[in-house]
Amino acid sequence: MSADPALELPLPDRVDPDRTLVLTVPDWSAVAVAAEHDLDPRTPVVVLHGGRVIAADAFARSAGVILGIGRRAAQLRCPEARVVIWDEEADNRHFSAGVGALEELVARFTLLSPGTLAIPLGSLRHGYADEPSAVEALISALVSETGWEFFPGIADTVFAAVLAARQARRVEPGATRRFLAAQPIHSLEYAGAEYAELIDVFGHLGLRTLGDLAALDARDVTSRFGELGRRAHDLAGGRGRTPLHDHVRTEQFGVELGLDTPTTRSDTLGFLTRQLAADLLAKVRRHGLVCTQITIELRAAGGQSSTRTWRIDDMSETAIADRLRWQAEGWLAGSSQSGRSQTGSSRSGAGGSGSDSHRRRHPGAEDLPDPGPDPEDFAEEGVIALSLVAAELTTALGATKSLFDENTGQVTHTLERLQGLFGPDAVLVPGLQGGWDPAETNLWTPWQQTATPERNPRAPWPGALRAPRPTTVEHLPVDVLTADGRPVGARPAGLEAEPRTIRFPAGGTEAIADYSGSWPIESGWWDPAHSTYRTRLQVVTESGQALLLSKENGQWYLTGRYC
Amino acid sequence: MPLVEQLSREMGISTATALFHGHAPRPVHPVLAPLFRRGGLPRGEIVAMTGPQSLSCALATIAEATTEQKWCAGIGLGEPAVSSIADLGVDLDHFVNVVTPAQDWLRVASILIESFDILVVDPGYQPSAGEQARLLAKVRERRISLISLAPAKGSTEQIEITDTRWSGTEHGRGRLRSCQVVARSQTGVHRFLLPGPDGTPAEVPARTVPTPVPAPMPRRTRPVVRSVS
Repeated sequence: MSADPALELPLPDRVDPDRTLVLTVPDWSAVAVAAEHDLDPRTPVVVLHGGRVIAADAFARSAGVILGIGRRAAQLRCPEARVVIWDEEADNRHFSAGVGALEELVARFTLLSPGTLAIPLGSLRHGYADEPSAVEALISALVSETGWEFFPGIADTVFAAVLAARQARRVEPGATRRFLAAQPIHSLEYAGAEYAELIDVFGHLGLRTLGDLAALDARDVTSRFGELGRRAHDLAGGRGRTPLHDHVRTEQFGVELGLDTPTTRSDTLGFLTRQLAADLLAKVRRHGLVCTQITIELRAAGGQSSTRTWRIDDMSETAIADRLRWQAEGWLAGSSQSGRSQTGSSRSGAGGSGSDSHRRRHPGAEDLPDPGPDPEDFAEEGVIALSLVAAELTTALGATKSLFDENTGQVTHTLERLQGLFGPDAVLVPGLQGGWDPAETNLWTPWQQTATPERNPRAPWPGALRAPRPTTVEHLPVDVLTADGRPVGARPAGLEAEPRTIRFPAGGTEAIADYSGSWPIESGWWDPAHSTYRTRLQVVTESGQALLLSKENGQWYLTGRYC
Repeated sequence: MPLVEQLSREMGISTATALFHGHAPRPVHPVLAPLFRRGGLPRGEIVAMTGPQSLSCALATIAEATTEQKWCAGIGLGEPAVSSIADLGVDLDHFVNVVTPAQDWLRVASILIESFDILVVDPGYQPSAGEQARLLAKVRERRISLISLAPAKGSTEQIEITDTRWSGTEHGRGRLRSCQVVARSQTGVHRFLLPGPDGTPAEVPARTVPTPVPAPMPRRTRPVVRSVS
């Protein structure tokens, strides 16, 4: 491994700390799709997203498939090609699995995006004689491990190295500005999707290359385009100083504790957690890292478990113990209620928020005959084991809060107090996910928990409701009746009869003054488990209220209210 | 010692306008501005918004402030549709929905007043006069804006939506497009679209105004039609 003195190009002792090697797999999405579907390597592959080609492999491209054309055009040019819809998860999964080999070879690297990774050249100085031999060694190791083709690119900044990798180039030290100046302005799209709108504006202003942009005065660019413009200007001038987040090793930081006797007392659990959390945080700290998210798992004596991931801004033992206490209370309270209703006994108001959810102490439960050990009712026995896993790790720098986050600390404090009083699910932050109806696009997540969308928000949802949308979401079975009191049927072509009255389950009825066209949604017919067929209808009642109705399995539901 | 200096030393008032500046109303969507006496959502006061479409009206009112990183919380609103909140222009990063039992709304509000800027409350019950007075005092002290979706004692501005007219459905041939609302406030009777065709508040298009309206306006065209109530 020692440097060979005969070589012409020794790595200089003082490497520019930003000099970076970028390795990129050309047409990564196509490669990932081929691996996902286990395709023959000679099959041409075309990847579609939003109806447009976003990646195609070399075979398909030699047949004339170019990026941005539609499905039909691609099939016309290359009829034997396998056309696959883009799958973001497969993209990421295959790449992170493949680059695992790199963990053995280099000290530090960063995954920029699926298909692209960056290695600071400073970290290769001790292992390899010069840049070309380092690249050769890394690529041959990666290729023999994964079988993918890699394009290398070396330059003085990460952004320039990404551009260089697309041309498989090595930019000499100090020549990066000249290299960047010649690149077209739309190269900025490789720096991130947020630059897309700037690219258009720059184009209209007559800035054709990155050199044109870099030649402008930095202050002028900042005052016209703000922070984003300043960053674009820095990138174009080869001054990108964004520190990269290092790829954190796949090693897991976790601690576990088994209890001698199961307990339902959340204060006991909180007390035990404090020590456990201190161990975990010390472990993480020893590696020079900071933990920003934590996964808490509780296991009951009967084998049931509850897992939640929490984001905590100022991570401490107390904060973790609080989260665990909330989680345990909510879980045990929820299970004891369902357990009770199964045994048929009346539910005495446990009131989910009480600090002690031990049922036997409740006066209402005292006079009930003991139902005996019930395997479902694990709240009686309680929690037997806890485990804490550091779910998101970052360097200390990455966790620093910005000065410009206005009064978040105070807000966090207030909301945590409310969560402590009413349970974690009392404070919800809004988010959007994919779906057709407002009830499906709603993604309310408890404060400081990681949102987990079930449906891809970026996928197309044909037939989705357009603005104006209902203000509140409901799910109430109702009857929609014709003039002579019969239920209104719905067919794909439209309603069978004119709806005149709507009857609510509580007994009230209201006359329908006007109604929209009905539009059906049919999805998932290829998979019985996900098959959906429903018809939506908007009505305006005589009192001027607008409602969104939906008919599913022969029953009308009130799904949204405009109020 | 000159009076000005004395005031600034002893009371922290640097200029005469600073007296009023601390209470400057929060900016709102231009279509909604004429509803309020001072052209924006007042601080340290309770605003009552009632009638149909009042939740949309409240969310549209807070939209401008949330985009300026002011924190807003909703209490007792049920399950709002996130898509419509986003349509009305609310910054989702500064909105939280608090789901607590209806009888706890006053306790929740008193906790949130400590650090939030705007609260939208659908009160679960009418508080007693004493509780009401303490809430009002707290609102005034923290200078937060509280929008109540039910008539509230001590509210300084009352906005009541008296009429809504949806358009676009056309008896089975269209879909909901917009809603023309008539709102009565202390500044008169106003007519505008909430939501408009794109989900945000909008002015009534000139041609669909049902009554002939005096077209010339002395100042720049106002988004609403005023009449003396």
